[in-house]
Amino acid sequence: MLTEYVSAVLLVAGAIFYLAGTIGLLRFPDVYTRLHALTKADNLGLGLIVIGLSLQASSFAAAGKLFLIWLLVLLAGASVSHLVARAALHKGVHLWKR
Amino acid sequence: MKPVSRFSLPTMTSRFLLFSFIWWILTDGAVNSWWIGIPAVILATLTSVALIPPVKLVWYEVVRFVPYFIFRSVTGGFDVAKRAFHPAIPIAPDLVEYPLRLSPGLPQVFLINTISLLPGTLTAELNQNILKVHVLDAQANFKAEIEAVEQRVARMFSVNLTNRGGGE
Repeated sequence: MLTEYVSAVLLVAGAIFYLAGTIGLLRFPDVYTRLHALTKADNLGLGLIVIGLSLQASSFAAAGKLFLIWLLVLLAGASVSHLVARAALHKGVHLWKR
Repeated sequence: MKPVSRFSLPTMTSRFLLFSFIWWILTDGAVNSWWIGIPAVILATLTSVALIPPVKLVWYEVVRFVPYFIFRSVTGGFDVAKRAFHPAIPIAPDLVEYPLRLSPGLPQVFLINTISLLPGTLTAELNQNILKVHVLDAQANFKAEIEAVEQRVARMFSVNLTNRGGGE
């Protein structure tokens, strides 16, 4: 029973970070800052969701699968954001400065 | 590194075990699946040995890296969420250059990906060991942070920070 509550709290917290990432994506001024919002908020958001779901997982392998997904998303997120930022630099996209 | 050492028994064994573990996770330990699993694991082991030279991991440092990474991920998530929700969007972005002390190779790739996941930093380009980093807040002490994580990665892969960055 307690694990279900903990799991629910983690899932909601994860969703809040996803929301933060999306709001950052919409509000931040240029491509580089938007990538910050996506990578950092989604990394933590997905991490919380994975822990939350692992608490309800039926087996160790199921929890392991969720953890593998998190690792792959981290790898993909970091690599893809690097490539998008590099492509933007090469195209001469000016970075927004205050 | 000599090409001969690539196919060393300890490297092959540890990678075989790692891929077997992943297969076990993916199939929920279904016994029948090993008919496909064992050939797949062997192929994956050979491919990985061919593509990635052996790495010497210092396990004590790897274990120490995990809580550090989790803590910094949490900080990074909160930091960017705060800035996204804040009415004034308090950011002062800038593009800075950081001369890497790690030599090219797997540890360097690992470092660059880690920097992109750390709070306030995003790698944008690597050229002659000069890493271009986009920082969300130019006032933050990003240089000390990158130096610290570079040292951690070097200790984890037991490599030296000899590269003086952009020397060539």
